[in-house]
Amino acid sequence: MMHAVYALIQIIVIILAAPLVNGIIRKVKALTQKRKGAPLLQMYFDLFKLLKKSVVVSDVASWIFRAAPYIAIASAVAASLFVPVATWPESQGYAGDMILFVSVLALGRFFMMLAALDTASTFGGMGSSREAMISALIEPSLLVTLFTVALIAKSTSIFQIMHFTAGVGIPLLHPVYILGFAALCTIIIAETSRVPVDDPSTHLELTMVHEAMILEYSGRDLALMELSASIRQLVFITLLVNIYVPHDQMIALYGLSGFAAIAVSLFVYLIKVVLVSILIAVIEVHAVKLRLFSIPNLAALAFIVSFLGFIQYFVLGR
Amino acid sequence: MSSYLDILSVLLLLSSFVLMANKRIKSHIRTFRFQSAMIALAAGILGVNSLIHEGRVDLLVVCAVIIAIKVIYIPRLLHRVYANVEYKVEKDFFLNIPILILGCCMIVVFTYFALSKTDGINTGTENMRVVNSVSLILIGLFFMISRKKAIGQIVGFLVIENGIFVTAMFATQGMPFIVDMGMFVDLLSAVMILGIMVFKINEKFDSIDINKLKNLRG
Repeated sequence: MMHAVYALIQIIVIILAAPLVNGIIRKVKALTQKRKGAPLLQMYFDLFKLLKKSVVVSDVASWIFRAAPYIAIASAVAASLFVPVATWPESQGYAGDMILFVSVLALGRFFMMLAALDTASTFGGMGSSREAMISALIEPSLLVTLFTVALIAKSTSIFQIMHFTAGVGIPLLHPVYILGFAALCTIIIAETSRVPVDDPSTHLELTMVHEAMILEYSGRDLALMELSASIRQLVFITLLVNIYVPHDQMIALYGLSGFAAIAVSLFVYLIKVVLVSILIAVIEVHAVKLRLFSIPNLAALAFIVSFLGFIQYFVLGR
Repeated sequence: MSSYLDILSVLLLLSSFVLMANKRIKSHIRTFRFQSAMIALAAGILGVNSLIHEGRVDLLVVCAVIIAIKVIYIPRLLHRVYANVEYKVEKDFFLNIPILILGCCMIVVFTYFALSKTDGINTGTENMRVVNSVSLILIGLFFMISRKKAIGQIVGFLVIENGIFVTAMFATQGMPFIVDMGMFVDLLSAVMILGIMVFKINEKFDSIDINKLKNLRG
């Protein structure tokens, strides 16, 4: 029973907070350009507006095109269930490990690429081929990063890893964790179509990747696609903050328990998410969009950073 | 203290990878400056430690000299040399960047296996810092042979020197003062001579690409 309540809180928090991350990133970017920018809640307004509109589907599109938004959002929400947002008293509720987590995310992405190919528009094919390239380059480093912490924590369940790192003290003062943190930051930028890899705010055919794939969607389907993209982004940010900057220790320090502990934990979690979104926005302001053929260099660097962490673990032997 | 030194040694290694992934000479110089600042920080931490425990100040002097020479003077000198030579945008390296970075990765693994067989220096966490700094030397060497431009080669030389200094520092907790100073004077004169040579090469061959040195000029 309690597990169901926790899972429900988890899903509600993730879905409600996901568009806010985009809002913060856009706001910080606007402020650095001396603009006022759209309000923080703009993406919620956009989503509500889109949900009310009807859907236009090309008459040559098959069932994949219609099913893809639902599969995308289902996979994003399912992936969010592997990554606990706050301190839960019982640890049994989170079955499933990181390999399943990565492949559930890959399933949503796979159907997104298929749907982009489905209508046979030129942009769709271009976007999905680029997306396939980027994800193939980035996924190894994500897995190596996760496996390194899994080796240290001696478990592949993300919940167990978070429990373990919460007992480490300050993980970021340890070389293995600091390398993993740097690698995961790079991976988040590439996975969530942020600036050095892809520009989310442009519709220029030469540069767009994610936008090119959802170009054919409209109305409710577009809202679902955008919501699933932002949920995926929040899931990655959650992974980053809860593995490398754990806060469970702090809650335990104040001797809180039960629902008070969960509320405080959620609050601290949201603060960390806001800080990471500001960090991402700052990186995005300072970076220039890479050429498509320079992305392998960035991916190689991300892979090497995670692999160095892996080596350091063996050198240190702990 | 030990965990800070661990992190600094890892950041040094990471900066050498970033150096390898950079394409432009300006970012090479910037990364070198960052790396030297990390070394100064490590020397400062060791210096404060030795001041508290043994009353020695020499490592703090070394730290100040590193900041003066490697963080401020040499990068500025390189910027000036670079501003004087004619610049053409062209491919600067022999292999593409992912292969270069994977090569560096092989170097780190190789160093780890080579050093795990030696006695004496592999006691506990010392070993990890020595592995990182010895790989820094080898990566500097690899950087030197992978670039075509003369300034890139100077940066590679400086990275090798950084690696030697850091290896000595991490393995012995501070070398004799006179040895450190001798190394710095050596380095300074070497870089100045190399800077003048780059200038001369550019004057003679209209380029600082070292491949052109093979051509005959009357």
